[in-house]
Amino acid sequence: MSIEEKLKILADSAKYDASCSSSGSKRENNNGLGNASYSGICHSFSSDGRCISLLKILMTNCCIFDCKYCINRKSNEVKRALFTPEEICQITINFYQRNYIEGLFLSSGIIKSSDYTMNKLIETITLLRCKYHFNGYIHVKAIPGASNYLLKKLGSLVDRMSANIELPTNNALKLLAPDKNQDKVTNIMQFIKENKSKNFVNAGQSSQMIIGATNESDLNIMQMSTNLYNQYHLKRVFYSAYIPVNKDRFLPSLKMPPLKREHRLYQADWLIRYYHYKINDLLDDNHPNFDILLDPKTSWALRNLNQFPLEVNKASYNDLLKVPGIGPTSAKKIISNRKYYTLEYNDLKKLGVILKRAKYFILCNGKYFTNNNYFNLNFIKNNLLLEDNIDKKVQLCLFNE
Amino acid sequence: MNDFDVYLYDGSFNNLLNTIEILIKEKIKPIKIVSEECLENDLFSNIKKKTLSIDNYFAKYLKNISNDFFKIVYDVYLSDNQNKELIMYYFILNGLKYGSKVIYLRKLKCVNEALNISSYVRRESHKLKGFVRFRKLETNFFLAFISPTNNVIGYLSNHFKKRLSNESWMIYDLKRDLLSIYTKNKFMIIKVKDLEKNNFKFSSDELEFANLWNIFYKTIAIKQRTNKRCQMNFMPKKYWPYMIEMRDLVEKSY
Repeated sequence: MSIEEKLKILADSAKYDASCSSSGSKRENNNGLGNASYSGICHSFSSDGRCISLLKILMTNCCIFDCKYCINRKSNEVKRALFTPEEICQITINFYQRNYIEGLFLSSGIIKSSDYTMNKLIETITLLRCKYHFNGYIHVKAIPGASNYLLKKLGSLVDRMSANIELPTNNALKLLAPDKNQDKVTNIMQFIKENKSKNFVNAGQSSQMIIGATNESDLNIMQMSTNLYNQYHLKRVFYSAYIPVNKDRFLPSLKMPPLKREHRLYQADWLIRYYHYKINDLLDDNHPNFDILLDPKTSWALRNLNQFPLEVNKASYNDLLKVPGIGPTSAKKIISNRKYYTLEYNDLKKLGVILKRAKYFILCNGKYFTNNNYFNLNFIKNNLLLEDNIDKKVQLCLFNE
Repeated sequence: MNDFDVYLYDGSFNNLLNTIEILIKEKIKPIKIVSEECLENDLFSNIKKKTLSIDNYFAKYLKNISNDFFKIVYDVYLSDNQNKELIMYYFILNGLKYGSKVIYLRKLKCVNEALNISSYVRRESHKLKGFVRFRKLETNFFLAFISPTNNVIGYLSNHFKKRLSNESWMIYDLKRDLLSIYTKNKFMIIKVKDLEKNNFKFSSDELEFANLWNIFYKTIAIKQRTNKRCQMNFMPKKYWPYMIEMRDLVEKSY
C-alpha cells in the first residue's frame, strides 16, 4: 500500500477526534528540531472551519473492539492500514520542517492487546524524540486497559496524553461500546493526574464526549464534564456532535449533527471554567437542556434580572463577568481604565464590550441606554432574539451563495 | 510652521523616533510625517528634514516609561496604517505626559488607535507563525514567501530562529522586498529588490511531501460539518496564495 493511501485511510479515521489544541506546553528546542508554543498555534483551517494544528492520524485503524458509533469497529468492512514507526517519523519531521504542523497527535485502534498497542506507540514516539530529536508538541491517546508502567513511559515522552470518556454515563457506554467501561478510562485519568509533572504530560490531559448518540440531557453531560474537571483536573473536555457513520439499531438516525447543541455545551463549559458559574446556575431538573435560541449566559441573566442593571463604573470584576457581552478581557480593561476616568457608552465599545448585548444589563454613569421603563424581561428578551435573528438571516444568505 | 510642512524620515524606527523627539522639543505639531519611500511630490508641500543625533537616548527614555508602552510604539511603527507616524507622535506625547498609565487611557483617540494597531500587528504575526509555508530547496535551504499587511518579518524570524534552529531558512516578504536569512544561529533582514522568484530549484522530495500535506488537509475535514465562513474568518483569503493546501483555490500563487 502506498504512503498516500495509508495517510488517506489513517487521517480519515482520526478526523472525528475534536481535539487539536497545541497549547499549554513549554517544551524548548534542545539542539534538535522544534519547540512548543505555550499559546498554541493554528497552522491551517479545514473546510469545516476547524483548526489544524497537529498531524492527526491513527497508527492503525485495525481494532479488536466493536464500538457501535465508531467507523473502525471490527464488524465494519473498511480498508485497514498500519503505519510503521519510521513512516510516522518521516511524515512528522518533514511536515514540521515546512511549518505545516505544530506537532503530532497519534491515536490508534487496538491491535492484539492494549499493552501491545501501547508498546507500538511508545516505540514510535521514542524514535521521534530520541533518534530525530523532535521537540515539537506531541499528543497521544492512552489505550484503555494498558498497564501503568507503560502509561508512565509514554507519558514521560509527550506533552499531552488523554483518554476519551466517549459517553456521559456508564449505561450509555455499555450499550454502545461493550468492550469499554468507564473505570478503564477514569483509571488512566487518575494515573495521569497523580503523575503529572514538568516531565510527564506537562500540557495536561483532555477528554471527549459524543453528543446526541444517546438520550442524555445537557445536565447529565455537564455533570459528567464538571466531575472530570474537578476530580481529574482535566485541561479540556471536548464535545463532539454525533455524526452517523454506522447503521445500528442502538443508534439514532440523524440527518444533521447537533452542532448548535454542541456549541451551547462549549459556551457553558467556558462559563464554568472562566466565569465561575456553577452547573446549577445554568441548568436544573426542571430545565435540563439549554435554550437553543439564547446562549446560556444570556438565559441566566434573564432569569436573574433582579441582579441587573449593573453600574460599570462600580461593579466588581466578578459581577462584570456576569454581564452578557462582557468577558474576562473586556472586564479587565474596564477595571484598569475606570481608575483614571469615568466610562461612557462610547468608551465601552473601545474596551471590547459587545454593546448590542451588554447595553440591556448595564448602567453607564447612572444612565440606562434608553428610558428606564424599558428595563423589563419582555423588552430585553424580544430585542435580543430579534437581533440574533437578523444576524442569522445574513448568515443564511452567505451559506446559500 | 504651516499646513504644508511635511517632515521626512529615512524609514527606520530610530530615525522616526528622533524626528518625533525633535518635533516634541521644538513644540511643533506636525500635520504630516512621512518616510522617504512613501514621499509623493506635490507642488504645495514644504519638505523638511530634521538633522538628528544618532544616539538612542530617546528610545531608552521611552523604554523607561514602561516596556509595554515601548512595545506598542514599535508595533505602530511596523503597521501599514496610513497615519502611523502621527499616531505614534501623539501616543508618545501622551506617554511623556501621563507616564506608564497612558496605556489605560483608551478615552484618548491616539491611545485607542495605537493599542488597536498594536494588537492587529501582534495578531497577524501570531497567525503567520502558523500560516508560513516553507519549501525545501536543492541546497537544503527552506524558503517561504509571505506578503503580510503589517511588517512582521522580524517577529516571525525570532520565532523560527528558536523553532528551526538547526535548519537554514529564508523568508521573503514580497510586499516590502525584505529577505530574512537564517543560518547558524543568526538571522539578517536585508532589502533585496528583483528577487528571481521562479528560479529556485526544489529538493527532490518537495513535491512528495507537499502532495501528502494536500491529501491530509482534504481528508481531515468532516463533510457533514462544512462551514466555509468559519474557515474564512480564521484564515482570511489574503494568506491563501502562499499556503500550499489552498493553492488550487486561488489564481495567483507562489
